[in-house]
Parts: sequence; C-alpha cells; structure tokens
Amino acid sequence: MKKLLVCSCAADDGYAPVSMHLMKERLADVVAGVEKYAADNEAEILYLLAEGECVCGLEEQARYSAVSPVLGNPYAVAQVLSGNLPRPMIRDDFAAEYEGREVMVLTPEAAYGIQNGFETRFTAVNRDGKTTVEEVKIGTPLEELADVTDAGAILLGGLRGRFVTPAEYSGMKITAEQMYSSITIYGKDACIVDVCRKLAQEAHESSCGKCVLCREGSSQFGQMTAEMTTGKAKITDLALIREVGELVCAGSYCPFGQNMPGPLLSAIELFSEEFEAHIKKKTCRCGVCYREASTYIIWPDKCTGCGDCADACGEDAIEGKSGYIHMIDQDMCEQCGNCVSACEEGAIAPVFGKLPRLPKKLTKVGKF
Amino acid sequence: MAQVKLTIDDREILAEESKTVLEAALENGIYIPHLCHHENLHPNGGCRLCVVKQEGVDGVITSCSVKVKEGMIIRTRDELAEKIRKLSCDLMFKTHPSECVGCPKYGKCQLASISQYIGDGGRDLREQKIPAQNDESNPLMVHELYRCILCGRCVRACGELRGVGALKFTKEGGRMRVSVNGNSLEEAGCMFCGACVEVCPTGSIRDKVGIFKEGVGRELSLVPCMEGCPANIDVPKYIRFIREGNYPAAAAVVREKAPFPETLGYICTHNCEMQCKRSHLNSPLSIRNLKRFAAAQDDGSWRERAVRKPDSGKRVAVIGAGPAGLTAAYYLKKLGHEVTVFEKLPQAGGQMRYGIPSYRLPREVLDREIAEIEAIGVVIKCESDVASAAELKASGYDAVFAAIGTHAGNKLPIPGNDLENVYLNAEFLRAVNLGEPMKVGERVVVLGGGNVAIDCAESALRLGAKEVHMACLEAADKMTASDEEIEWAKEDGIHIHNSKTFNEIIGENGKAAGLSVTGVKNFYFENGKAVIEKEENSDEIIAADTVIFAVGQHPDVTEEFGLALARGRIVTDGGTRTSAEGIFAAGDGVTGTQSVIKAIAGARAAASEIDRYLGGDGVIEEQLAPEQDANPCIGKAAGMAAMERVAPAVAAVETRTCSFAPMDFGYSCEDAACEAKRCLQCDLRVQIAPQKFWSDYAGEEGGRQA
Repeated sequence: MKKLLVCSCAADDGYAPVSMHLMKERLADVVAGVEKYAADNEAEILYLLAEGECVCGLEEQARYSAVSPVLGNPYAVAQVLSGNLPRPMIRDDFAAEYEGREVMVLTPEAAYGIQNGFETRFTAVNRDGKTTVEEVKIGTPLEELADVTDAGAILLGGLRGRFVTPAEYSGMKITAEQMYSSITIYGKDACIVDVCRKLAQEAHESSCGKCVLCREGSSQFGQMTAEMTTGKAKITDLALIREVGELVCAGSYCPFGQNMPGPLLSAIELFSEEFEAHIKKKTCRCGVCYREASTYIIWPDKCTGCGDCADACGEDAIEGKSGYIHMIDQDMCEQCGNCVSACEEGAIAPVFGKLPRLPKKLTKVGKF
Repeated sequence: MAQVKLTIDDREILAEESKTVLEAALENGIYIPHLCHHENLHPNGGCRLCVVKQEGVDGVITSCSVKVKEGMIIRTRDELAEKIRKLSCDLMFKTHPSECVGCPKYGKCQLASISQYIGDGGRDLREQKIPAQNDESNPLMVHELYRCILCGRCVRACGELRGVGALKFTKEGGRMRVSVNGNSLEEAGCMFCGACVEVCPTGSIRDKVGIFKEGVGRELSLVPCMEGCPANIDVPKYIRFIREGNYPAAAAVVREKAPFPETLGYICTHNCEMQCKRSHLNSPLSIRNLKRFAAAQDDGSWRERAVRKPDSGKRVAVIGAGPAGLTAAYYLKKLGHEVTVFEKLPQAGGQMRYGIPSYRLPREVLDREIAEIEAIGVVIKCESDVASAAELKASGYDAVFAAIGTHAGNKLPIPGNDLENVYLNAEFLRAVNLGEPMKVGERVVVLGGGNVAIDCAESALRLGAKEVHMACLEAADKMTASDEEIEWAKEDGIHIHNSKTFNEIIGENGKAAGLSVTGVKNFYFENGKAVIEKEENSDEIIAADTVIFAVGQHPDVTEEFGLALARGRIVTDGGTRTSAEGIFAAGDGVTGTQSVIKAIAGARAAASEIDRYLGGDGVIEEQLAPEQDANPCIGKAAGMAAMERVAPAVAAVETRTCSFAPMDFGYSCEDAACEAKRCLQCDLRVQIAPQKFWSDYAGEEGGRQA
C-alpha cells in the first residue's frame, strides 16, 4: 500500500502550542525533516494544521482540523482527513488508511529533530496569560526557564501533566518527556480549585469521546470541581476523585485519558487544605469562588407558606405545603432565580458565604 | 492457520493466531464483558469493559484489540480489571436513564445485562442525564439518543459495514453525540437497511413498532416480504439476482417454492408487497412485476439442480388440476411416486384457467408451466369427474389428495335472486373461459367488491355490456380487491357503488330489471353474521338487465364425496389429513376461496405430509438457484429513499375493454432494473450476528462478578 506521511500540527495541548510555533518560526527545518522522513518511507506528504492557522507556501499540502490531543494517532488523523471527529485506534497489526494510503504521523517537533538532532526540545512557559515557546537543551534546569519564587502553583505538562511544589521544581531538568512541553505558573491570587475546575472542563472538551473513562471521567471531574466552587460538593468527593482518577489513569484507552486526571489528582494532593476549605467552610481564600455563586434560601421568618415558589420551580427543588415554611433542596436547586420573582413576600434571596439557621423539617409558619 | 497456546484464567487454550484475546476467550466459554465490540465490526476498545490483566504487562490490556500470542497468561478476573469495568459501567449509567422498566428495550438491553453481571460500584458519581433528543420523523426508525451510551456501534455499522456513513459523531457543547449526517436520514443517504438498529445495545435506535412481526423467528421477522408470502419465497434473494442481471437465477429462486413462477408473476395477490418495509417509506416494491419479468427470462438452467428421487412404487391420485392439485402432483412425482391427476373440466389449471380471465393471465403462460409438470411424468386426466374420493382411493391408490377448489358461486338470500339473467361469479367466468359465454345485456350490475367481482365486471364489459356497475358493502378504502385492479376498473368506466346493502333484485316479466340498494353507515361482524347500520333515506335502484353475484364461492362437493365437511368445506386435522385414512386435502376446498399462492403453499405442506405417509422423509426443499454472495457493503445511492415505484405499461382503455387479450405488459428490462434498485435488502440484516448476553455464552462458569 502507498504511504501518506501526515505532519500533524493539531495535536498540541493548549498549554504548549509548540507545533504551530515551529511551523511559523522554524518552517524550513520542519519541512526538511518531514521531507527526509517521507523520502525514507516513500510517502506522500500532508500537513494537518490547527484550524484558523495559515502557513505560507504550504497551502496545497495543508489540511485543517480542530486541535485534539489524539491527533498523534494515525487512525485519528485518517478520521479527520475523512471529515469525521478524531478517534484514535490502538490495535495489533493494524494500519490506518486514507484514500488507499497507509497513514503515518510525524509531529513538527520530531521533524525538526530529524533535521537538527534531538538534543533540544521546545517548552512553553505560560505566565500571566502570556505564552512563550523556547528551544532549550535537554538537561537545562527548569529554574533557568522560569522563576517560580512568586508562584502559587506550578503545572508541568498542561492537561496531561501534574502540579509540582516549588521545591520539587527547583530540582528538575528538561527531559524529552511530554511533561516538560509546558510550564504553567499560577500566581498566588489564583484559586487552585478554580484552576482545577477550568482544567477539568478543558480536559472534557479535549477528550475525543471514544473511551468511557476519559469522556465521562473528565465530565465527572468537571462537575465535582464546579460544585466545589459553589458549595454543593461533599467532603467525600475528594476521596472519590482520587479513587476514580487512579482507575481512569489505569484503564483509559489512550495516553491522553491515562494522564488527564494528573493535574487534579496532584492538586488535591498538594493543596488539600484549599479543597477542604472550599467544601467544608465554603470559603475561597482568593475570593475567586463563591463570588457569583450563591445559595438561594427562603427566610423562615418571611415565608407565609403560600406555595407560589414551589409552583415556579422547574426543578421541583422546593419542599413545603400550605401554611408551612418552604425549603429549598440545595442539591436540586439550579439557581435559576424563578422562585425569587414568584415570591410576593420577598422571602427568597441569594446568600453568600455562611448560611443562616434554616428549618430542617417541615415547620408551621411562625413556629420556627 | 497457525495456532498459539495461551492461558486464560488458568485454562490452557489453543487459538488461531489471527484471533483477539476476547475472541479466544468467548470461543472457549470464558465470558469477558464487552459492549462496543461486535463480531461484525472492527475492534474499537472504547467501552473499557473487556480490559483484562496480562501477566508481565503493567496495568490492563484491551482484550478486543490485542491478538493472542504464544505463552500469554491472561487473568480476566484481575482486581484492577474488575474495578475498571465496574467504573466504566457506572459512568455509562450516569448518562443513561436509570428507569429500565419503561424502556422498549427492557429485557433485551445489553447494557442492562452487562451491568447486572458486573454489579454496581455504589459510588456517589453525578447523574448527567442527556436532554431528550427524540427524532420520530422517520417512518421506519426511532432515534431516542438520551439513551445513547456512545458505544459507536451504529456509526461503525453504517460506515464500515455498509459503506453508507449516514450517522456520525458530533460534539455539542463539549458533549459527544451520535448525529445524522444531514437534516434527515433521507438526506444523509440512509439506505434503511436497519444495521444501526440491529447493533444498538440499548433502546436508543429502534425499529418503529409495527414494522416487523414478532414471534415468527428472527429471519422471517426481519424480512417481512418473505414472511408475508404464504410459501415464504426468498424475495430479497431474487430481487438481488434481478439487480445483478441474472434473471434465470431469480426465476429459479421463485421456483424453489412454487412451480408456477410466471403465473404468479401475473396474478399473485402479492402479500409480500403488503408487508414490504418500503411501503412505510413511500410505496412498496413491485415484487410481483419483478417476479414476472424474471420468470419470463427463465432458461430452464434450474432443471439440472432439481431433485428427482427414484421410483417408490407408490401410487397417488390427485383430484383437481388447479394450483394446489398440480403443485402437490409435481412434488410427489419428484419424490418418486406415480401420480395421476383427475380433472373434471376439459383442461388443467383450475381457477387459473376457469376463474381468472385471460386478459389477466395469458393462457400460453399457464400452458407452459403445466407442460413443465407433465414433462416430469405427472399424468393429467381431464374430463374425469371423481364422485367419491374414498372410492378412488379404494380403486388402487396408496394415497389421495383432494384439491377440489371452490367452483360454485354463493347466492345471497334476497328476493329476486332466482330471476332469469341473474348469474353466479364462478359459473359466469367458467363459461367465458370455456368459450361459451353467458349472454349479457346492456346494463350489468355485479354484487361484490373483491377481485373476482372485478373479473366479472371487466369480463361483462369485454362481452359487450354498455354500462357496468359494481355494488359492495365495503367502503372505497376497505374493498378487498387490489388497488391496482380497482383503479383500472374505474379507468375502464366501471361504476363502483360503495357502502351499499342489497335489498332485492327487481324483476320485470320474470327477468331482472334492477338492484335495490340502501346506503350503509357502518357494518361489523357479530357471531359470523354481518350487522349493518343503514343510512336513512338512501334507498336507490341501480337499473340493470343482467345481475352477477360475486359474493364468494364454495366447494362444489357433497357428503357423497366421502369426506367430512364443515360449512361446505373439507375438514382437515389442522395439517392436511382428512377424515378418511390416506386421503389428504388442501387449497381453496379446505380454506375457502383464498389465492393461488396460498393453494401452492398448502399443497407443498400436503405433498410433504403425503410423502411421509408413504414412507418417505417428506423433504421437498431443493436449491435450484446458484449460491448468492450478498454484499453487506451496499454503499450510498443518491435519492434512494425518494425513488418511486415504477408503473408497468398497460394497454389503453379503448383497446383493452373490447378484448380478452392481455392488458398489463409488465416491466421492460430498464423498468425491472430500476425497480429492483428500490429494494431495501432487509435480508442483509439477518447476516448481522444477533446480540448476545452473558448468559448466552457457553460454560456459565462465570456467573456473576463479585
């Protein structure tokens, strides 16, 4: 079968936009490396670029795709070339095919290495919303790349990596591993729980959706961390995340799923007090969480037991009967605010932080 | 194929090296849970249920995707693997409705079965139900994707198995889902093969209720045309031969179940078309016309495959040379018995010759097919009336088959029914076909709304009547005659009076002068009797000088025939045995007036039973058509869903109403090719392996996972 070499620039983690950096800054070397590899394998060449990007001179060989962590897998690449969502395939004696050609995949970084040797690697440093990509020699101490004295948290390797302590960081050197493709530094004003919520959400969006553990695991992590920032999470969720996360690492189909729980698991390990404060005390040290999120309550002294709020609730989250103080089931409440406008007494309002004393069982109006 | 030795759960297993670990385990009765895997599809690896431990390998391996290797040691009940399975199953259920009982797939759901096997992890995971996205817009399939667990079997079946690609994955708001690749299934190029339904493990993609019959076995249920045919002719198979241009092979497929392929092509009541799945989409396939086209191209090549057994020395007499009698005679002769057919009328054919007019069935077609039966040595004695079946049996036959048909017309008990110029359907049509037609006047009224009534009306028209009326109890949309026949009758100027009850035939000087009728609001049957609600003030007289009853027929038989009768018909034991030892019966004489294909189906059963009675094995099945390689990869065909049924060429009204020459010219080669393409190939779905549950795998040593 004829071969097709696809230089995939769409497999980058958002935290390490190395591929497109190389395509823009080191194009000649990448192209030379790709052509060398293609010639050795007698393959035709295509470049799979991240959607919205443009590389001058490659227009004819370029194809485009949304960025996905699985686009290093030949089958996933063949899928997007055919107009489908990427899905990897890892199987014994199996060749991915596109239009009658066996698909091979090369990253721009590997192509660059073929041309210039593998003594260096490209690492992205993310700080204060800015990203810089640098070529560094393998063996360079991380501290030379980024100073972390003011850091609140350090994430190595983006969605597939883990959080490290400054102490651990100071002893680390660049190696060829994926984990060193990016260093992300969060300031002391960043809430680690909120950072984890965003990471989990990004992981869910990046998941190709093929494997249950990665697809649903990331979705669960997203929901649980979000609940930690709004006061709905339970303290047992931390153990649950640890248990599920380890199984997702062990059981996921592809390397993305196997590493995806890393940031959250390491964050819970390193910043357990922060997580516990969010869940138990419903406070956020940085004041990031609970700012918008509020809990709706029915003030027991104002409620007349009319039931209008219960009628207005689309979630059936309000319990009560005529003449009794109504209560909001916080697990079911979606914070839509419909009950607030339905209540003529003005008895319902969002509260921030600590909740007042509320009835735990049905209580007659005026008896609380 | 080289074999490798491996160990699964402490059992040494030999497996072909091309197998995966999962396949090797299942074949040896070791169950490993699996969901996205399907034996007709490529391995996928997404469900994470089939993970197992391989000794010497970190973590777990995906058993559906890993090939067996020499010396492998596999543990399916490894603790980590079981934990991963349980988590995966829990996670799937978090997006799936938790109420199983209300689901139409309840009891047949693979997800439910697997979760029952694996057990609940009891974790406090979050419910993430998918908002309901029901799509019932398609007439054949229901998509209820809030039940979807994204195993992807439907997408893969549609893409890799069928080459159609009407389904695909999309992401909406970060969440994966299965979508139609277009605004509708039709637009997506769906071929309506049902592969997606067949592989869906949950109730997400289903057939609409009523498309398929239940309780008839998987093959017949999935192929409604074949189920609808009384003789179970393999319709999709011959349609496929027609599409491939192999017409003789198509004809041979029909002949495997009926010795009158071309006759059926002209006059079959085509129950198959009534069941055709395509009728839900637009209109059914014109199966009968395709059959007729193929049968006309028969080159007799099937003869070399036909079964002929050596002489048995047994003698069988058949009474009646109609479709039932001739069919039974044909098979009994092939089974080695000496067969003589006794026919009262001058020529063989029964209702095919003396009931059905020649403009519907050219006699040379019938003659040709009867000659084929005579050619194998069946002796037909015409103008030989048999007064008593019992006496005939006693005269030296080992068995007798009575296929006497229904050759006497029914007369309704209304005043004037014995006037001159009042005829009965059976006698009227028989006279026409004997070449001695009864005299018809200028205005004819036929009582009845079935196909025979239309035959009478059309024949009267062709005999010179100026104005022909039909009156029947049924409303226009409830008439038993086929739609096509009704339409042609209307084109020919026949007036059809629907929803009428008959009061009397008005006489003048001893002759019929008209039919008095009253409008009917509604009617129903109670204890076998029609209860009629009349329309007030709707009495009407249809003037006529000739009246023909076409309200059913009954066997022309009395007790003297020597067999027990009930309501004028021969009584059988539920099979084909009559009250007399060694005498069998089938066809209209037993069932009342039905159809040629039902008579043939009944006669086949009788031939088989008679053969067993005579000491044979009763096997009449034979393979006359060559093997067919039905390609499951059907590919996309643009506009397939919208293709309309091809109408056959018919003679113009002016020419057809004054002659008994054939009026329906059937299909041309192009017509047939075009119509055959409309077939949805329901039989391809039977090729797909049926869904299995853990309890279906041999061994059962597994039992429930702890």
